[in-house]
Amino acid sequence: MSRRRVLVAMSGGVDSSVAAALVRERGDEAVGVTMKILARAETGFGCCGSPADIDDAKRVAERLGIVHYVSDMAEIFASKVIRPYLDAYLGGTTPNPCVECNRSLKFGHLLALSEAWGCDAVATGHYARVENGRLLKALDPAKDQSYFLYSLDAKSLARADFPVGAMSKDAVRAKARELGLKTADKAESMETCFVPNRDVRGFVAANADASAPGLASGPIRDLEGRELGRHTGLASYTIGQRSGLGLSGPEPRYVVRIDAAANAVIVGGVDELQTKAITVGALTFNGERNGGTLRAHVRIRHRHIPAAAEIELKSDGTATILFDEPQRAPAPGQSAVIYSGDMVVGGGTILRGEP
Amino acid sequence: MTAYLDHNATTPVRPEVVDAMLPWLRDGYGNPNSVYSLGQRARAAVELARERVAALLGASDAGEIAFTSGGSESDVLAIAGGAWQAHDESKGKRRKVVTTKIEHDAIRLLAGQLRRRGLDVLEAGCGADGVVDASALTAMIDDSTSVVSVMHANNETGVLQPVAELAAAARAAGALAHTDAVQSLGKIPIDAKSLGVDLLAVSGHKVNAPKGVGALWIRRGVRLSPLITGHQEKNRRGGTENTASIVGFGLACELAGRELASAHQHALALRRRIEAGVLLVPGARLNGRPDLRLPNTAHFSFDGVDGHHLVVALDLEGICVSSGPACSSGASTPSHVLTAMGVAAGLATGSIRVSVGWGSTDADADLLLAALPKAVAKLRAVGAAA
Repeated sequence: MSRRRVLVAMSGGVDSSVAAALVRERGDEAVGVTMKILARAETGFGCCGSPADIDDAKRVAERLGIVHYVSDMAEIFASKVIRPYLDAYLGGTTPNPCVECNRSLKFGHLLALSEAWGCDAVATGHYARVENGRLLKALDPAKDQSYFLYSLDAKSLARADFPVGAMSKDAVRAKARELGLKTADKAESMETCFVPNRDVRGFVAANADASAPGLASGPIRDLEGRELGRHTGLASYTIGQRSGLGLSGPEPRYVVRIDAAANAVIVGGVDELQTKAITVGALTFNGERNGGTLRAHVRIRHRHIPAAAEIELKSDGTATILFDEPQRAPAPGQSAVIYSGDMVVGGGTILRGEP
Repeated sequence: MTAYLDHNATTPVRPEVVDAMLPWLRDGYGNPNSVYSLGQRARAAVELARERVAALLGASDAGEIAFTSGGSESDVLAIAGGAWQAHDESKGKRRKVVTTKIEHDAIRLLAGQLRRRGLDVLEAGCGADGVVDASALTAMIDDSTSVVSVMHANNETGVLQPVAELAAAARAAGALAHTDAVQSLGKIPIDAKSLGVDLLAVSGHKVNAPKGVGALWIRRGVRLSPLITGHQEKNRRGGTENTASIVGFGLACELAGRELASAHQHALALRRRIEAGVLLVPGARLNGRPDLRLPNTAHFSFDGVDGHHLVVALDLEGICVSSGPACSSGASTPSHVLTAMGVAAGLATGSIRVSVGWGSTDADADLLLAALPKAVAKLRAVGAAA
C-alpha cells in the first residue's frame, strides 16, 4: 500500500501519543492535530485541549518528528457538545458528551478538515477496532471504548483508524516508555474532559442561565407521590443516584425517575431501579434484521456488560428494547449500544425506561 | 521543496552573514570590553557593525546605536526607558504615553503594563485603509506626554504610517518620538534624521541576520532609563555584547543597503504577481491601502475560511505563510490590526499574510498560486458544513 497521510487527533494523553507513533512507524505520514476545545485559554485544569495538554502533544510530536498543529474548535465544541450537555442536565437527563464529541468533532468537523488537508484517514487513541467498515470492540475488554463511537456513520468508519485498538493499556504505556514519550505515565482522564474537578453540578450552575428551570428547587417524591424532601434542581440528579438526596430513613433510596414536567425527583428502593425495557430514539442501525425484531446484546452505559435483549425497530427511528433480565438504572440521555458479538450494529439515545 | 513566503516573520540568514559570524564564535571569542588585544579585536568588529547599522538608518553618528537582543527589547527600551526617564525628570508631570492600536504585541502588551503601573496610555485608532488616524493621535499629545510611539510600517498589512508628521507633533510638545521600524529595515529607505524621531527600533532577523540581535537608534542627547543595567553600550544596555550576531547584523545591513533598490524591485514584482493571482480567488480581498505599503507584504482575507486552517493546508503543500502575527497557539482570534481597521471578525479570522524577501522566486509564488485556490475552496466547504 502506498504511503498515506493520516491526521492523528492528539489530546496530549498517552493513547493518542502512541497512536501517532504507530502511524509513523508503519510508514505513513502522520499529521498531529490537537483540538483546542475551550475558549478560555487560562483554564488551568488538566483537560483535553488545555494549554498543558497542548504542550504535551507538541512535545510528543517533536519527539516523534512529526508535524503538529493546533486547531481552534472552541466555538463548534461549545455549540455541539457543551450546549447539549447543559441542556440535557437542565432537562433532567444524563448526557453522553463523548458520543457527541466523537460524532460532531473528531469524526465530524476534524474529519472534514482532514479531507481538506489531503489526509486519507483520521486516527485517534480510542480502544476500538474497525474491520471491513464495521466497528468492533477493543481486544482489551477493560478498555473498550466502542460504546462512545457507535454513532459513526459508514463514511466516518471508512476513514477511522484506531491504532491502539488491538493493544492493552499496559502495552500502550510500555510502547510510550520505549519511545521516551513524556506522556507515558500520564494519569488517565476518567471524567468528562471539560468539567473541572469532576464537579458536574458546579459546571452546570456556572454555565447555565441562573433562571433555567433545571436549577429550580422542587419536590423529592416516592413512587406513591408523597413528598419526602426537596431537591436543588433537576440538573444535579441522575437515575440510580443515592447520595446527595438528603433523605433519612431505614431503607436506602435511589433516584428512579426524573419528572421534568413536574420538576420532581422520584425515589424508590433498590428493586425499583431494575428495568425490563427501554425506549431508544435517534436510532442508527446497520445490522441484519429479520423483519422488525432482532436479538442482540445491549450496553446501556460505559463498562456495562451488554445484556441479551429483544429489539423491536420502529419505523419512526425509535426502538423498544426488552431485556431478558432486568437491568439496573438505565438513564435517559445515555446511549444504548447494540452489539452482535464484538460488532457494533447500532444504537441510540435512551428516552425512557419501563419497570 | 519549501516555498518560504513569510519574510515578515523571520528571514533566512544569508550565507555570507553566517561566514562572517563564524570567526567570532571560534577564535574571536574575546570580550569586547577587555583590555587585551583579543578583546580589542572583538571591539573593533562590534564597532564596524555599529557603523554599518547606523548607515542603513541614515545616522551619521554610530554612537547613537545601542545593540540589543532584538526588536522587542529595542521597543521596550525606547518606550519604557523613555517614559520612566521623563516621568522621573519631570517629577511625575510627564506621565502619558501615546501610541496606536496597530502596534506589534511587544508594544501593545507593554502599553498595558505601563497602564497597570500607573501611567496614562492612550492608543489612537486607524482608518479602514490601515493608516493611523494622525489627527486623533495628535490631539492626544500634550505637555504631560513623555513618549509618542508609532510604527514605521505595519507588520501585518505592510501599510506605511505617517511617522514624520506625528514625530513633529511629539517633539513640539517636548515628548520623545519613537518608531518601531522593525518591518521596514532593508525593505524601504529609512532616514532617522529626516523622520524627525528620537528613537528608532530595528531587528536583525528581519534583514537576513540571525535572531537574538537588534538595535535601538537613540538620538544624541536623549536619555533613557535602562532596562538592563551595566556599563556596556554606553550605560544604555548592560550585558556583554553578542559579538558574532552583531557582526552578522552589521554585514546584513551593509548588504541590504547596497541592494535596497534591486531588492525593492524584486519584491514588488513578486508581490504583484502574487496579488494578481490571489485576487482571482472568489471572495478574496486585499487588506490595507494598496499604495504606500512595504513592497514585499500582501495581506488577504477570504470569507468563510479559517485562516489558521488555511496556513496548515498550505504548509502540508510545502508553502509557508502566516495568519496574522506569528503565533503557535492556534487560537482563531481576529488580528488586532484588522479589528482596528474595522474588518468584521468573521472575515478577519480568514486572513493570511504573504511576505516575500531575499531568495524568494517566481517558483515560490507559482507554488502558492497553484495550491491556494483549491485549499480555499475545500476549507470553505468544511466551514459551510459546520
